[in-house]
Amino acid sequence: MGASDPKDTAGQARLYEMYKTFFDKAEQERRWNPVRDVPYDKINKDAPESLVVVAETFCCVESFLPDYVAGGINIVRPFFGQAWFSANWAYEESKHSVALMEYLLRSGRRTPEQMFDLQSKLMETKWELPFGTAREMTIYGCFQEMATFVIYVKQELGAKQYGDECLAAIFRLNARDEIAHCRFYEDVVKVLLEEDRPGTLRDIAHVAKHFQMPGVGIVPDYDERIKVMREEGKVDRSVFLQKVFFPVLKYLDVTRQELQEASSRERAALNEDRRESRNDERRTRAAE
Amino acid sequence: MASSRAELLSMFQKTASEITEREFPPISEGTVISELGIDSLGMLEIVGSMERELKVQLPDEALAGIQTVRDLIELVEKKQAFPPTANAS
Repeated sequence: MGASDPKDTAGQARLYEMYKTFFDKAEQERRWNPVRDVPYDKINKDAPESLVVVAETFCCVESFLPDYVAGGINIVRPFFGQAWFSANWAYEESKHSVALMEYLLRSGRRTPEQMFDLQSKLMETKWELPFGTAREMTIYGCFQEMATFVIYVKQELGAKQYGDECLAAIFRLNARDEIAHCRFYEDVVKVLLEEDRPGTLRDIAHVAKHFQMPGVGIVPDYDERIKVMREEGKVDRSVFLQKVFFPVLKYLDVTRQELQEASSRERAALNEDRRESRNDERRTRAAE
Repeated sequence: MASSRAELLSMFQKTASEITEREFPPISEGTVISELGIDSLGMLEIVGSMERELKVQLPDEALAGIQTVRDLIELVEKKQAFPPTANAS
């Protein structure tokens, strides 16, 4: 039915129109070149190591791009608009890691050997899709892209404070892409809500409950790195609710109460399944 | 009828266990919610469940500031003391 059915031409045409609008806007307003458009001459080579760690941590998370692309594009493969969006998304994200890597190298704070050692260490672990359906992953995209946008914006202020105009520019360019990605995902979720509100609400509740940023568990020294990022970006736990969770819900026109009801229904269904399976076990044992 | 602080504390302890399916050591008002291993979205679920039970609705913008169980209890108390009126403009 609709956009969630690959065979529904009207639904797929709608997604394609959304992608075309997104792509056209990106071509008109957002294209940039990580080699030529970043002011590498404005690097502050004396910036504190903590700022470099922030850049390196973003670079680490962006480095799992091959896994994000492989997992992400295959799950939306039957949906033309979303699959083509994923291809464009990958191109845009690839620029983020190139810009960050160039920053780390040109600042002289990391050597090519250190960067390639790090890349090779990162690739020893594989990022796995956190959710199993296209709809869940699209919802995940809303929260993840918005969170990344917010963190880049916060870190841009930090980079400016340390007089690193180059890193501030990279964070700004990356943030602008992230919010555009977030809007695309949100617009798709709005369509999915129109077509199946209870099911989509259930998935939003499920994704929110199990949400984790993509670097968790795969980036080396993640906890220490996040501690530095929180301190440098002045990001505390309240930021996620204030700047990510509630704004996404507001854009989707979903209330917290609706999600909580969906969540309670899911928990009740899960408890019912458990009860059933315990009863089945008892019956089996009694029959033996 | 407004609940006492002790009742709210006990409700938090019970709801947190139900939602997270974990048993917690005795929780005090000063307990930092994140130190229980409950993230911000988990906390929202607990808040939602308490709201339903208490028949109050806490404002979204206030929830982001909750760090400790005391913060939540005080928010609920405030809401119970000054419920929104039907014709409030």
